[in-house]
Amino acid sequence: MNVKTITTAFIMFLCQFALIAQENYMVRGTVTAASDNSPVPGVNVLVFGTTSGVVTDFDGNYEISVSDDSQLVFSYVGFATQTLSVDGRKEINVALADDAQNLDEVVVVGYGTRKKSHLTGAVSSVVNEDLDQLPVSRVDDALVGQISGVNVQATQGEAGSAPTIRIRGTGSLTGSSDPLIVVDGLVVDNDFLGSLDMSEVASFDVLKDAASAAIYGSRGGNGVILITTKQGKEGKTVFSYQGYTGFKEARQSDSYYFSVAKTAAAELAATGSLSPRTQYIQQIGIDQDWQDIIFDGGMIENHSLSARGGNENTKYSISLGYLHDEGVLLTDDYKRYNLRLKLDSDVSDKFKIGGNLAPSYTNTRRFDGSTHDILRQPPWLPVYHDANTIQYVDRSVYPDVQIGDYAVQRHFDNYDLFGDGTLIDISDTSNTNPAAKVIERDRNDYKFKLNGNFYGEYELYDNLKLRSTLSGDYQSTKRDRWQGVLSSRNGAADASYEVSNETQIHIASETFLTYNKNFGEHEFDALAGISFEKWDYSGESSLGTGYTSDLIRTLTAATVLTNIDSYKFAERFQSYFARINYAYADKYLASVSYRRDGSSVFGSDNKYGDFPAVSVGWDIAQEDFLKESNTLSSLKFRFSYGFTGNKDLDTGSDIIDLYPSLPLLGPSSATIDGSLQSAYIALNIANPDLQWERSREYNPGLDFGILNNRITGSVDYYKRTSDQLLLFNPVSSTTGFRNALVNIGEVVNSGVEFELRTRNVSTPNFQWSTTILASMNDNELTDFADSNGQIQITDDKRAAEWINLQGQPISSFYGWVVDEEIALENLQQPYFPIGGEAQDVYVKDLNGDGLIDDDDKTILGSPYPDLVWSISNDFKIGNVDISFLFQGSHGAEVRNMGDQYIFNHFNSGQDFNVQTTPNQGFIKEKIFTNSIVQDASYVALRNVNIGYNFPKTLTSKIGLTGMRVYAAGQNLMYLTADDYTGFNPESIDDTSPTTYGYQRGGSPIFRTISFGINADF
Amino acid sequence: MKKIYPFILLIFTGLLMSCGDDFLEPLPESAVSSESYFSNDDEIESGVIGMYDAIQGINSNNLTDNFSIQREYYLTEMRSDNTRTKSSEGEAAQFESYTVTASNGIVSNYYISFYEIIYRANLVLSSLDAASPEKAASFEAEAKFVRAYAYFNLVRLYGDIPLIDRLIGPLEREISYTRVATSEVYNLIVSDLQTAVSGLDNTYKNRASRAAAQTLLAKVYLTQGTNYAEAQTLLESVIGSGFSLEPNFKDVFYTENNNEVIFAIGYTSDLTSDSQNISAEWLNSVGRTSGVNYVTADAREALDNLGGSRTPYSYRQDAAQPTQYQVAKYIPNGDTNLGIAPTASNPELAGNDWIILRFADVLLMHVEAILAGGQQTSATAAINSFQRVRNRAGLTTPVTSITKEDLLAERRVELAFENHRFFDLVRFGAAQQVLSAFSDANGYSFNATDLLLPIPQREINLSNGLMSQNPGY
Repeated sequence: MNVKTITTAFIMFLCQFALIAQENYMVRGTVTAASDNSPVPGVNVLVFGTTSGVVTDFDGNYEISVSDDSQLVFSYVGFATQTLSVDGRKEINVALADDAQNLDEVVVVGYGTRKKSHLTGAVSSVVNEDLDQLPVSRVDDALVGQISGVNVQATQGEAGSAPTIRIRGTGSLTGSSDPLIVVDGLVVDNDFLGSLDMSEVASFDVLKDAASAAIYGSRGGNGVILITTKQGKEGKTVFSYQGYTGFKEARQSDSYYFSVAKTAAAELAATGSLSPRTQYIQQIGIDQDWQDIIFDGGMIENHSLSARGGNENTKYSISLGYLHDEGVLLTDDYKRYNLRLKLDSDVSDKFKIGGNLAPSYTNTRRFDGSTHDILRQPPWLPVYHDANTIQYVDRSVYPDVQIGDYAVQRHFDNYDLFGDGTLIDISDTSNTNPAAKVIERDRNDYKFKLNGNFYGEYELYDNLKLRSTLSGDYQSTKRDRWQGVLSSRNGAADASYEVSNETQIHIASETFLTYNKNFGEHEFDALAGISFEKWDYSGESSLGTGYTSDLIRTLTAATVLTNIDSYKFAERFQSYFARINYAYADKYLASVSYRRDGSSVFGSDNKYGDFPAVSVGWDIAQEDFLKESNTLSSLKFRFSYGFTGNKDLDTGSDIIDLYPSLPLLGPSSATIDGSLQSAYIALNIANPDLQWERSREYNPGLDFGILNNRITGSVDYYKRTSDQLLLFNPVSSTTGFRNALVNIGEVVNSGVEFELRTRNVSTPNFQWSTTILASMNDNELTDFADSNGQIQITDDKRAAEWINLQGQPISSFYGWVVDEEIALENLQQPYFPIGGEAQDVYVKDLNGDGLIDDDDKTILGSPYPDLVWSISNDFKIGNVDISFLFQGSHGAEVRNMGDQYIFNHFNSGQDFNVQTTPNQGFIKEKIFTNSIVQDASYVALRNVNIGYNFPKTLTSKIGLTGMRVYAAGQNLMYLTADDYTGFNPESIDDTSPTTYGYQRGGSPIFRTISFGINADF
Repeated sequence: MKKIYPFILLIFTGLLMSCGDDFLEPLPESAVSSESYFSNDDEIESGVIGMYDAIQGINSNNLTDNFSIQREYYLTEMRSDNTRTKSSEGEAAQFESYTVTASNGIVSNYYISFYEIIYRANLVLSSLDAASPEKAASFEAEAKFVRAYAYFNLVRLYGDIPLIDRLIGPLEREISYTRVATSEVYNLIVSDLQTAVSGLDNTYKNRASRAAAQTLLAKVYLTQGTNYAEAQTLLESVIGSGFSLEPNFKDVFYTENNNEVIFAIGYTSDLTSDSQNISAEWLNSVGRTSGVNYVTADAREALDNLGGSRTPYSYRQDAAQPTQYQVAKYIPNGDTNLGIAPTASNPELAGNDWIILRFADVLLMHVEAILAGGQQTSATAAINSFQRVRNRAGLTTPVTSITKEDLLAERRVELAFENHRFFDLVRFGAAQQVLSAFSDANGYSFNATDLLLPIPQREINLSNGLMSQNPGY
């Protein structure tokens, strides 16, 4: 490859611009504060790239020697640093904006940075100012409501569990719709966010539009989240301690609270008497809410300690972190230990090296149960037998039950309440006590990760730099699951121990050239590079059974080993990428990029995909006719268009996901006349033509700044069309298979994003700022080929339907429309079990043909929100600051299967009486109707933070350079729609995009109140 | 010296770049590519074993796994007057009440599973060119037996079905969704079985054998009702092949590959990949369901009246719910009262082989062949075969003539819960009358269209109008 020739030619081309004569002269001017036009003394004025500099005098005046192509850098504490080109001017007056409104801040855009004012794509950034004060166990949890267009949803409530992140909606069907996560340049899997300490993070930059994400090519289709970790700063070593501790409490559902007393009262009112069953239940004397037992709340605590510093040539950062989150569910628990070392050194003027090493360890104890199953238990059932409850045990069947044992519903059957030999049954399940199912299981994930990189950068020639990075991450995950003797109704027969070890090694090597140079008012910034990546996965797992006790919890103690599995997979990736950013006079902006990705996943003809992008911008405020405007500080129109891709498959089988182009045969066996014989069986329908899923997106946008940037904001419209979708498409089973991977279909996500940031008050003693974010996304399945209109289910026993219909969102709830409930008098046992509801309901004959059939089914709702918004306010009054963030989501619906279980819909006691019930032809099970399709909208007070910064005069007395104490609250208010019965409208089962919106109990939203302290010394 | 820095940098990249041209083509290590496989007898044999692996089914509770015969009793016994669910819950209860819907997961699972068996047979048949001349014929016979077995079950359950006799791709929609007339399906079944009869010997019980092919072909002829004489010849050939009735009825189900077994699907206990959860599901809260294939009062009455010594090994009282009764064949976790030892330490990983064809069935079919569609026979050969089966049950009183009803009743109690009852009712032409009466007595909603299962809704949906549904669905 003739890189050298090209490089040389390129450099020669660029050098023509540099042939302009250089001559020194003096430039002078005044520096003022943009907010009030008062002169600012003491501002550092530096000629960029030199050591020559001056300081402004008392009246804000300065004078400095420059050449025509010099750039001046104005910096002062509390103000945003400004860099201006001299361009032959003799006088340069500067209005410095406050730091908080720094429009010239630099944004990470992948393989480099760009001035925010020069951005032509939709990139949003969040600087970690106080995110690390949020009492959440994962960094992604902290991003809720922080970035427009980024929807972070707490789909699972277990401690340490990952939220679902969607940038501008769901675009893939089989493939993952998770954004790409890049930490300090290394692409990591999303799970990595669970092992990162927020206090290590300097900033998040989110590439939302395709043109911005296209530099990550095939992996940018769902947006990119770039995370930059903190770096050491020149100067004395700063030690920082950050710590908080808090209490978490689950938000319970009133609808799921049942009581013996309430039900008995209703029964008495309706029938004038109490059934023997109810009388018996009352006599047992227990009336408890199972939510209190399984949502046991917990503590969260976090400690981080860091040392950062360095000298002119070498900067370092060391940080340590520990977090412990007890979760709000019974047994769930999450511990994380972090260490990160970061070193950057200038070996010479031209040569830099650096590295980063971050080991982490997490230990998650899972909540090994299902809330819907537990909460369907009646309120009369205690967890353990006591002296009272033991007397009701049916001794003929359970002779050995003792006080202190788990109580099981069946224990209470066959009770002779009236002493007349009439035996009463009150159980509705043979299952063991629901608390036993959770407490007697011990399920843990142990993850060790080592993430590191090493880079070197060499300046070949006048700002032409060669950078090479070798980075890698190693992950070792051990999972084990002990299911104790008492955890199931079958006792020791079901005791088991499941253990697996998974290893993943990912190595990436990147080499790229960068060139950035200003020629007068032309600013160039170019990049060209190549990268190689490889992943190797391996793992083993097995299951031990045949335990007789809980004493020894190892595979060795098992009498039978089954489910023994082991695997080895590899994945390779090779890319070429280039980008040129251009700005003229800060007015005309452009960016062109191109990436070519090759992946081992695809067949030989389709290994490579091309992902070009282009974007332009025009900041009208920089035009002469507006430049002097005091009202308009900036007004930038942007337009971007680009291609990204997606290669992620999720067929449920890793080997098919990684080698879908090959016809695979896997090992199996059959028993032949008493001996096991080896078989080879086909695993897939190979698709050698499989190729990249492709998204194209255009994004016009507008950034504005008004009144010296006291009001800034942006508006974006986007339309992303994802086609040749990677779909594990159902095929006729006569092929021998159920599904085949194909590229078909098209999904369009379009929407509007809005960001507004205002500084309402800005005085030395009182500051108030507001941020408003809103995003609206519309998801539409525009082409689904043969699968158009396919009806899907998630659970064969409770086969509620979804439809994937063109012209609608990817998935819609489908079924009959409720007409009215069946009258109480037509139900066989309307008051049993407690909390029970009728399984069936009258539905509407939509087509009016006098009968209810499939033709009366219709779309019942969509699981995707129309609008997600947040409003945050920050106040600073002297040393006290207060901030709060409201966040909301509207328009999504959820199919709350929790009602099915918790209201015992399918319990036979609630059946209608076939003799007396009229119009039985119009009755359908609720599960097939909109009865359980509920509004998932919510409004939450996500974060509140009240802090006090001790004055330096005080802290210096105890040897601290700064100290802050604060109290924070999360979800202190959480409002849901009236018809929503569950405890977390965001908790969605992780099912396929084609059956999205399924909730089965799930885990609750929780509120947290925490107290923290930050100290620097 | 400094000039060397960039080269040091480039070394990093070189580390990976040196991987060369095949960098993007790593070979799978946990599987092989079939492009180069099935190239010799041993490799083809692993494909042959794969056919039985498909019949064996996956021991799982996940509907996306092919349960294959492990859930066959839902479609046969629970759809007859023999069994039902314990608590009438979920789609499992659709079978007993004759309210099966086209989207029933078990209906589609069976259909999918059996086309997978057919696919694996076709895969073997497509590889015969690579086999040695000595083995090619037996591989062909074996694959055709398996294919015929699968089609015979499918055609009886679903009626007209797509007929796939070669490997097809996902784009071949026409053949995938065209329902071929039952008679045409039977043509392939008969010709496949004829090939199987001539190409096999009696080496195996868990693989195809000549006797198994003969028995199955005889059953096909009886079902078609057109070739009783040939059926009789085939069955008499099997009767003369050295099989015998186990003296003790219990041993049929608890002694693997006993002399009565002609064709059974092998299972190994305590191995997830090779065990079955057929019989654990028939118990109370032992399997993953709350109890299915529970014995109806109707079946109990028949067994009490006609079962003789077979009855205690056919059904038993549910110890946990004494008003309920369970199947006593293939009990995985033992029964001390019946002298049955557990067959696996985990009942969900049971090792009991599942018998598809056994000698008692042959003897009773022999009677049926002699009856030849008539109402009654006193032929000595028929009486002998009939009496052999009854004698083993301790019912030694000689019979002098056998009516069609006698034979049907005898088959019910001899082969109870072995997935024969529904097919027998249909074959004897008694299904309509018997099931209507049974349905009326139990408040179910049987009608004539319930004799065929629906074509799975999944296939109808995918066919986009190419595929029609059976009447009544």
